[in-house]
Amino acid sequence: MSGLRKIVYILIPTVFFIIVFFLDVVRGAVTVLDDGMEYVRESFVLIAFVMLFFYFRSSRRGRTQNVVREIGKLLVTTLIVLFVVLLGAMAPSVNFVERNFTLAPANSLTVLMANITSIAMGILGSILLLTVRGLIFQKRKKGIRRNFLAYVVLMLAAVVFAIPALSIEVGFIGSVLFGLATLMTIVNSFKQNWIVFLSRREKIYGIIYSSSLAVLLIILLAVITNRGFPGNAIAYYSDPLERFVVLNMIFGSVYFGMAFLSTLFHLPTADVFERKQSELTSLHSLSRLVTQVLDFSDLVRTVTQMTREVCGAKSAWLELVKKSSTGQFPAYEIAATNNISTQDIESLLSVPESQIRSLVYESRRVLLIDSISGDRRTNHVKARKLSIGSLLSIPLISQQEFVGILHATSDEAYGFDQDDIDVMTTFADQVTIAIENSKLIAKSLERERYHQEILLAQQMQRKLLPQTVPHHAGFDVSAISEPSHEVGGDYYDFVELGDDKIGVVIGDVSGKGISAAFYMAEIKGIFQALSKSSLSPKELVLRANEAMTDSLDRKTFVSLLYAVFDLRNSTATIARAGHCPVIHVKKSTYEFVRPGGLGLGLTNDELFSRSTEETSIDIEPGDACIFYTDGATEARNRSEEEFGVDRLVNSIMSRRNADAETIRTQVWNDIKQFTGDDNFNDDITLVVVKWHGNTVGNRVSRDAHAVSGDKRR
Amino acid sequence: MTDFKINHREGDGFSVIELKGFLDAHTAPQLENAFQSLLKSEKFNILVNCRDLSYISSAGLGVFMAYIEDVRSKEGDIKLSNMSARVFNVFDLLGFPLLYEILKEEKEATDRFKVKHKS
Repeated sequence: MSGLRKIVYILIPTVFFIIVFFLDVVRGAVTVLDDGMEYVRESFVLIAFVMLFFYFRSSRRGRTQNVVREIGKLLVTTLIVLFVVLLGAMAPSVNFVERNFTLAPANSLTVLMANITSIAMGILGSILLLTVRGLIFQKRKKGIRRNFLAYVVLMLAAVVFAIPALSIEVGFIGSVLFGLATLMTIVNSFKQNWIVFLSRREKIYGIIYSSSLAVLLIILLAVITNRGFPGNAIAYYSDPLERFVVLNMIFGSVYFGMAFLSTLFHLPTADVFERKQSELTSLHSLSRLVTQVLDFSDLVRTVTQMTREVCGAKSAWLELVKKSSTGQFPAYEIAATNNISTQDIESLLSVPESQIRSLVYESRRVLLIDSISGDRRTNHVKARKLSIGSLLSIPLISQQEFVGILHATSDEAYGFDQDDIDVMTTFADQVTIAIENSKLIAKSLERERYHQEILLAQQMQRKLLPQTVPHHAGFDVSAISEPSHEVGGDYYDFVELGDDKIGVVIGDVSGKGISAAFYMAEIKGIFQALSKSSLSPKELVLRANEAMTDSLDRKTFVSLLYAVFDLRNSTATIARAGHCPVIHVKKSTYEFVRPGGLGLGLTNDELFSRSTEETSIDIEPGDACIFYTDGATEARNRSEEEFGVDRLVNSIMSRRNADAETIRTQVWNDIKQFTGDDNFNDDITLVVVKWHGNTVGNRVSRDAHAVSGDKRR
Repeated sequence: MTDFKINHREGDGFSVIELKGFLDAHTAPQLENAFQSLLKSEKFNILVNCRDLSYISSAGLGVFMAYIEDVRSKEGDIKLSNMSARVFNVFDLLGFPLLYEILKEEKEATDRFKVKHKS
């Protein structure tokens, strides 16, 4: 109802009431109005109250949220009306006298007080009807609606038939209708559904309010139906109004009398109801928790807290099966406790006599010990003076796997009932899901962290490779090393040995992964230390083997090849420790340079030094030396075919006149084209040294542009 | 992934491990298990037949290194046979022929093992 309509709905009745008042004053003087005026007056009263009724109804839309407060409001209204009624009754010289067999007010004050009393009663009747309607419709069922509607129809009919100046027979029908309406008030008074949902506190208020209301309404009824002033006043004012008020007051007193009794009977179960509600709330918030909790310790703490709320336990704790559990029964770790010390838990469960855990584990069922001190399974605790009366232990099972036990204690014996067990079983299922979720999240985080570490290792390994290549007028160098999808163990490096010598080393650690990367770092250290002391290639290989043997594990070895180029003599001296040979590209032919030698770490006895050879080759201007790791020849395409030495040699020979950079790039492209994909199964390293000739005096320098490597990772 | 299979049988005075397929970092643990179970049952005369071995990586070679000391300390040996040229080249590159006896045919192994172990 809009604001304007509200004003109209309150203004018109007010005007009507004033008109009726003046009519009554006039009537008092003239004694009797003619029939026509009587009907007009009655219509005014009727219309005024209908509008008032709708005005009150508009202010209470929808379902009542706070039922008890509504009843309280009604109680206050009733008290005010009672006060007004008593005020009228006690006003001086207010009286009715009998004139021509009807009652008439003795004076104008009586007229005024009668009007006020009647209007107040009419308003109370309306509000009463609306409040009771609100309570009954708290649960909207077809039958409930029908019964209430039947009452309203009968009540209105009875009111209509109370219009005066109707014949005696009609008056009799009115009485029958009155009787039927009264009957319907009793039928409707059984609809007290709202009581169940009240909290204990609300129920107590409900009892006080409804009993007071019932008593007050009965008093008012008695006052109206007796021929005192209030009764006479309303009878004088309007017969239909009197019937309306009387019927609704009967309804009100019966309904609230009934409400009082119902609430009284519901009071003992109020606790249970309240607990049920808190259980529901807890379960609901847990199911939300399941999707939210990332932190495991937060989760288990919340679980024990909720366990106490759900079943009203004194203390609760959660224990989970240890991952490394072996043997017949699993070992447990206490994940979280609430209001109990670990010591108490241990003395309850971790003594040899205690079978609680194993009983739960074997049966996979809820275990309830009603009396800790009386039960044979737990009476060992008696001596320990724990203030625990009963114990409830619920297994947590996820996909047939036993993950843990949730315990709850009560300080009294028989502290848990069937309801608690039921709700805890449901709760435990939720807990299991939450815990499993949390574990899964942790696992995937762990995996992510591992992946990050691998990436970090790859980056560090990349930094171990030279960032520049040596640059000299007598030769040019180009190199590339591409790790496989895992962390690999390929290594190459350069060392300047004075103005006219340069050392090139290439190596490969067997196996892959972080350990290979570590070994590679070690080789770099060893190589850089040894190469500075101008050892011959063979010497260096022998010393490197000595240094590496102790740190390499049995199944790991390192292949290494070291070449020293001498600009002054145009030679290269090469020693090989199990590594792929050097491809020496000449004007029209090529040659594999493969001095004998064992891989580093294979053996440390005299066999190693005996078998390690050193070869010297002469290099002409225009020659090239290609160093590679087995990743290059063993690169496979989709049909598991290897790139192989022949393809490698062909690839090199077809560009043998180009510079180092071009050879390296082209060979690299050939390998990639062959495999058809960027993900090699092994690291691939290529180092190309292109010889220009003897140009002694030009210092070896490093050129930052010449290094090429895939910088993606 | 490529296949790798190990077959174990008893030969004339020695145990035979037959390798088939690709022996690399992923399949090497299978060979390790095979050696371990032989050592557990005190069989130290081991011949590895490489007739159907199509590829061996450095991780595969590492497996032989891991057990050779144990086997030889028990007067036994690991010998290899029937290698394809390609596989032999990998062994040869690292100098394995200096450390292991590599035979052309399995039958050559008869009477080559020092001590008769119960097999």
